[in-house]
Amino acid sequence: MGIRKFIFKRLIEILVIFFIILTVLFVLLRLSPGDPVSRIVDPTMTPEDAQRLIEQLGLNQPIWIQYGYYLKNFFLGNLGISFHYGQPVTSIIWSRLFNTIILFTTAVILSALAGVFLGKIASWHKGERTDTWLTLSALVCHTLFLPWVALIFIWVFAYKIGGFPLTGMISAEIWADPSSGFWLKLLDVAHHMILPLLTLFLIHFGSYLLIMRSSMLDTLREDYILTARAKGLTEKIIRNRHAAPNAALPVITSVGLSLAFSISGGALTETVFSWPGIGRELVFSVSNNDYPLAQACFLLIAIVVLLSNLVVDVLYMYLDPRIRY
Amino acid sequence: MLKSKIIWFIPAIIFFLLPLSCAEQRSDPILKIGLHEEPKTLNIWLASDANSKRILSLIYQPLYLRAPDTLDLIPWLAADQPEFHPDTISYTVRLKQAKWSDGSEVTSADVAFTANLIKEFKIPRHYSQWKFIKKIETPDNHTVIFYLSRPEAIFRDRTLTTTIVQEKEWSQIAENAKKQKKPLRFLLNYKIDNPVGCGPFVLTEWQKGAYVHLKQSPYFFGKNRRIDRRLIGPYIDDILFKIYGTSDVAVLALKKGSIDMFWWGLQPGYLKNLQQHKGIKVLFNKKSALYFMGFNVRKKPFEDVNLRRAIAVLINKDFIISRILQGYGTRMDSIVPPGNKYWFCPDVDLYGKGLDRKERIKKAYHILRNAGYTWVVPPVDNNGHVVSGEGIRTPDERLMEPFEILTPPADYDPLRAMSGLMIQEWLRAIGMPAFSKPMAFGALLEQVKGRHEFDAFVLGYGRLSLDPDYLRNFFLSSNDKPRGWNMSGYKNRYFDQLANQSASEMNREIRKDLIWKMQKIIMADVPYIPLYDPKLIEAVRNDTFRGWVNMLDGIGNIWSFCQVKPVSR
Repeated sequence: MGIRKFIFKRLIEILVIFFIILTVLFVLLRLSPGDPVSRIVDPTMTPEDAQRLIEQLGLNQPIWIQYGYYLKNFFLGNLGISFHYGQPVTSIIWSRLFNTIILFTTAVILSALAGVFLGKIASWHKGERTDTWLTLSALVCHTLFLPWVALIFIWVFAYKIGGFPLTGMISAEIWADPSSGFWLKLLDVAHHMILPLLTLFLIHFGSYLLIMRSSMLDTLREDYILTARAKGLTEKIIRNRHAAPNAALPVITSVGLSLAFSISGGALTETVFSWPGIGRELVFSVSNNDYPLAQACFLLIAIVVLLSNLVVDVLYMYLDPRIRY
Repeated sequence: MLKSKIIWFIPAIIFFLLPLSCAEQRSDPILKIGLHEEPKTLNIWLASDANSKRILSLIYQPLYLRAPDTLDLIPWLAADQPEFHPDTISYTVRLKQAKWSDGSEVTSADVAFTANLIKEFKIPRHYSQWKFIKKIETPDNHTVIFYLSRPEAIFRDRTLTTTIVQEKEWSQIAENAKKQKKPLRFLLNYKIDNPVGCGPFVLTEWQKGAYVHLKQSPYFFGKNRRIDRRLIGPYIDDILFKIYGTSDVAVLALKKGSIDMFWWGLQPGYLKNLQQHKGIKVLFNKKSALYFMGFNVRKKPFEDVNLRRAIAVLINKDFIISRILQGYGTRMDSIVPPGNKYWFCPDVDLYGKGLDRKERIKKAYHILRNAGYTWVVPPVDNNGHVVSGEGIRTPDERLMEPFEILTPPADYDPLRAMSGLMIQEWLRAIGMPAFSKPMAFGALLEQVKGRHEFDAFVLGYGRLSLDPDYLRNFFLSSNDKPRGWNMSGYKNRYFDQLANQSASEMNREIRKDLIWKMQKIIMADVPYIPLYDPKLIEAVRNDTFRGWVNMLDGIGNIWSFCQVKPVSR
């Protein structure tokens, strides 16, 4: 099958899957107990007030009518208004999306690069002390509990040593000061990013290292590696030009999906570091039955994951010409 | 080569970034406050989350406030106490000379507009306090006369403490809303970027996800006035609200000096650490809160008042206070919190107070035995010794069916979840098949308040109003409906009669008598068993600002923000 035909076929599949997700999401959120009003524990909210709010939010209508409006609005590009913020969910998501991408996507890319590099070294020195230490540290880091690591980093680097801000994405003192210029503000964001980035890096690089190491070990047993050695190529060339590109394929799948999921942020990281990303909004919207906001967050994740799968498949065909679907 | 570049690159970055970290420690007269979450909205009619309300409380102001020490109604935007005219069932309120933050005058038309807006749009959480206003007259710019359709006790304490909005700001929005298919939704969803209030502070900037910056209003009516014997400020120019997602980090920020106050109740676990830190002061205040166990009295076995009384005896509230709340709470024996001194009735049944475990079991056993309950193995043997009871039978001689005590999960509220578990054990000691079941908060409310499908539950109100009208709301027979506040399904005609009488009684002393009677009835019938009222633990830096005003529900009140000043002054 030609690459164009393959992409076209996959796009059709993606559309069908997306429609299914659209429907399942609608049903699942409405099946969750309660509604946006039932959680307000305030005796001043009378049953009549609650009913009025329910009507204003359109939740008193039969479920199929709500579903009809939901589909119609979606295809018109209207994802709705958040029940709690009173603002279009697209504006809420856009204001958070950049923050999430800048932190989580950077963390995935950096940890993948480090993981691939170190995994390559570990496999090359199999059974030696370097391999033992790298594998052990990867396993330890991979199993660390993220909020604990985050709090320890904050305590050591921000509180005890004091070189970093405790939390947040920007310093109010700098951003509220009209004399602060663009570069100072940019440096401020970079400064705030270091600790959460380091935490995410530490948690994630281990898995890439282990995947790369295992894949490299398989590749190094291939005949063409033996041939390359027989040809008298240097170890460095064999490792970097012959083994590593072939061994990187499983890592690419993993990185592709991690990149896609990185836009959903991480509620724990965002909470501990008070990072204003999508993860916290997602948790808030689900736990408070804010259907439009939850739907929009999940749909965004769904569409990015589906498309990134397609990109990974196409990348596979490019990296390994033997692969054809 | 590459290695040496990296070695130089890392210190270079740290060198550039270090001065930024010092920016946070800059000492200036800005009061920095930590919030647990970002406010959701600045639209006062939509705001239902604590943090939006906190910020808006410094911008929009009511006619009357509560005094911090006596909780009496104090004229704030009003010039003096409201005048009641019984013949016309009307109140006259005169306004102080005041200005909105845009420099225009606060007039009686603004007050009338606010009332009409709430009534016309039936704004949730406000409408119930205004719906009985028949007519409003504004004879001059500083006098408002409210005509009530019927006597309403809550008018003074609830209606007059509602915040007032500016007609100029909201009239066009209201007009546009009326043209919409869903006017209320339009009004609630209207985005307010710069709220115009008449309070001590105005919004300067809201950097989403990071901070909210307020500065002192040049037009605040209270500045340099003496109200309730206090010389009102504010004495600070700016307030910066920062967001801290966890209490752990907020406590570190407080210790480091990044914030001067964390506007959120702290768990007792932080106390020792904070109290040892020089420069931090920990403050304790009572809350107007109620945490309780409720029963579904619509069905067996909890329709029986004797069973509820026996359970009230078995619950060791002092244990909950000392062990679960680590001593930072007050035992509750009535539905009205003891901190609400005027309305709290101390003369109610205290059930197991002062009894030890064996005495409790014996007392509960006697109540149940006299009511016709029997056991396979009674919890008190023939020699009068307490043993483990088994197989309790109801008066109709059936084995008691297992029942569930629903609680919020431990990650939502460990105190309530743990209390549920302890109650389960105390009830099992007498042979009751009780099972504590933590469940998601939304699901719990849906089951208890929406569908009424439950046996018993442990819930709470973190911030009850100071007017005790909630007592009527919680137990009035007509409020036993889906989403109604009578979650237990309690029905008592005499109580209803007293409750309705209390709602329309304008004489405070007579109303107090009625409210006390209502508390006694409820504590005799125990559809709810009040458990505890946790103490509010807050922490501030005492080396930067001073003058925080302690009050029921904590130091985060308008009096504090009008009194607090830098230590250097």
